[in-house]
Amino acid sequence: MEELETVVDQTVRIAAPPEVVFEYFVDPRKLVSWIGSRATLEAVPGGRVWIDMNGTDVAAGQFLEIEPPTRVVFTWGWERGGPPMAPGSSTVEVTLTPDGTDTVVRLVHRDIPEPFVESHGAGWSERSAMLVELSIRGLLISGPTDADS
Amino acid sequence: MDATLRAIAEPRRREILRIVRDDELSAGEIATHFSISRPAVSQHVRVLLDAGLLRERREGTRRLYSLRPEGLEELVAFLDDFWTVGLERLRRAVEAGLTNPEVEDGRA
Repeated sequence: MEELETVVDQTVRIAAPPEVVFEYFVDPRKLVSWIGSRATLEAVPGGRVWIDMNGTDVAAGQFLEIEPPTRVVFTWGWERGGPPMAPGSSTVEVTLTPDGTDTVVRLVHRDIPEPFVESHGAGWSERSAMLVELSIRGLLISGPTDADS
Repeated sequence: MDATLRAIAEPRRREILRIVRDDELSAGEIATHFSISRPAVSQHVRVLLDAGLLRERREGTRRLYSLRPEGLEELVAFLDDFWTVGLERLRRAVEAGLTNPEVEDGRA
């Protein structure tokens, strides 16, 4: 985990107050309406984050900070399937900012561990290695693939 | 981009990327890391080449393979797209939930 870097920083505006949007990050029934198919969320600091993406790939981590309705931070990795990224080995930080009747959601995924731990050479930038892993994850969240052999 | 994602979806191809990350190797040398057949390894190498993730260099009669980092940099665009899509799904779910509690409860 030598390289700590933000590689994802996204925002979206949602026509709902932060109180409503916040629930979609801490209530498993609401979470699965936009990510994964089954989830366990223990929405307290140190509580478990467990998301079954598609019956094969399971993401896992724990909540670090919960400040309803403006901020939630949790760790992230893979318990089963997915890229070689241990549960809780990266950090997702979500910030909800009210703007009129809307909420601006900012999602930052950071602290991605250097995933190819077997190698310490300089041939390949760590950023690229992270991007591979993140892309694999993206693929998995997006749905099943034809992972032919 | 789709080819890139398909290429890295396969665990052995990810392993090949690891193996050639720092070393330029022939297909035979890559194959020594695997229990699968040499032709199967060559097939994986071909997929990675087609996806732009490996570069090939000829040295005499040998073909040597190494990582092509530029192919990975292209994933930046994918990542941006991916999270944009994820948050767009969130937006739709929230806004649908406001007008339809069944949807909000995840039962619809």
